[in-house]
Amino acid sequence: MEYLRVEGFRKKFSQTEVLQGVDFSLQKGEILVIIGASGSGKTTLLRCLNFLETPDEGKIYLGGELLSDASVRYSDRELRQKRLKFGLVFQNFNLFPNYNARRNVSLACELLAKARVRAKKRELRAAEKGLAKWNFGKILREAKAFQREEIAKSRQRAEELLGEVGLGDRGDAYPYELSGGQQQRVAIARALALDPEVLCFDEPTSALDPELTGEVLRVIRGLKGRTMIIVTHEMAFAREVADRVIFMADGKIEEMGSGEEVFGRPKSEKLKAFLKRTEEHEW
Amino acid sequence: MFWNVTLELLKGFGATCYIFLLTLVLALPLGLVIAFGSMSRFKPLSAAVRTVVWVIRGTPLMLQVIAIFYGPYLLFGITGFNDRLLAVIVAFVINYACYFSEIYRGGIQSVPRGQYEAGQVLGMTKAQIFFRITLVQVVKRILPPMSNEVITLVKDTSLARVISVVEIILVAEEFTRKGLIWPLFYTGAFYLIFVGALTLLFRFAEKKTAYIKV
Repeated sequence: MEYLRVEGFRKKFSQTEVLQGVDFSLQKGEILVIIGASGSGKTTLLRCLNFLETPDEGKIYLGGELLSDASVRYSDRELRQKRLKFGLVFQNFNLFPNYNARRNVSLACELLAKARVRAKKRELRAAEKGLAKWNFGKILREAKAFQREEIAKSRQRAEELLGEVGLGDRGDAYPYELSGGQQQRVAIARALALDPEVLCFDEPTSALDPELTGEVLRVIRGLKGRTMIIVTHEMAFAREVADRVIFMADGKIEEMGSGEEVFGRPKSEKLKAFLKRTEEHEW
Repeated sequence: MFWNVTLELLKGFGATCYIFLLTLVLALPLGLVIAFGSMSRFKPLSAAVRTVVWVIRGTPLMLQVIAIFYGPYLLFGITGFNDRLLAVIVAFVINYACYFSEIYRGGIQSVPRGQYEAGQVLGMTKAQIFFRITLVQVVKRILPPMSNEVITLVKDTSLARVISVVEIILVAEEFTRKGLIWPLFYTGAFYLIFVGALTLLFRFAEKKTAYIKV
């Protein structure tokens, strides 16, 4: 059953039409790899999925329900809710330099926990309305206990996630103290912390030295089972992990299929030329 | 004699410090508001704010002090406004807030877009992104230009004398009328010590934010 469906994405930046009607769908737990030359619209597609850009046209369905429609203007609050369905790992990590690795991972969770605590406080207050004033202290104590619990949980989760990406011992390190590969692994842990439905990667190894790409790819490989969309130039990796591959050219999906189909039996001339170029590049 | 002069000068220096501190405390937040105004996507607002900043930065502070003190009476015939110190504070706060706003703007715009986007993708609100992520990075970046501006403010307080607010240099000048010239040079020591302390303070702050590397 299809889990994610993207319908008719179009996006124009001033004169150039970067996305000219992109449709695809994905099953739960599948890994979709998007390949294509730079400027083909891959990154814009990911940014539209994460609501960093608003497409001019197009709809996203998630789990059978309409998640967003480009013709509708959503409030900031609604947008934030929708963004949480997707996670994004950036090409250049974008870790927060003012926090250590652990806090980078847990910050968003803590903030969401705080928002939940505020809601809980309101709820408690409403429930206690009509009762004597001395109850007020009790409400506050309960809310505070709840907040401590939630924050402890997020920190705990951050530790676990850092362990999962092989950085269990680097929680106290600041981003500048970490290598590029380690930074990207922290960024992956950070994206996982909110447990998104679909995790997206925007060329996660392009900014890394060749000897560091391996550790990042290994972590991504370890996430198999999650629904993921990966934009990458690592063809060997793409072929290995992809359940489905999309080849984009000039803002359109030129070819789509399983890894075997796209890499093994390319049909379109553009794809053949592209594969040939990258092959030469790799040798 | 020396102690008498020192005591008198210290009184004047009190006014200097008062103008300095009050201006700083009020102009720092106001500058941030102006910075947001000049970066607003609402064109008429940003144009208006930028014009004000242009006028304030484009005219001498001395003129602004005079205008604020005498303006209400000369232009509108409003009498009863003769709090000289207040006029000085108002002029200084507006002037420095405009300079600060440009420093803030530079600082805010130098934070990479990726930082905002990373926050957005993690479901943070605009306020959370600003206060939790960008603000500290902005502070780190603006410390050096801020220290320049703050040090200039220390010395600009001497402009208060144009509307006869008694600050340290005016006090020293009184002594020259009595034939003493050295108190005037002695005031320099006060400024030097004050600025020295500020320099150390800024250096300390820069060290404290050294862990933020971008």
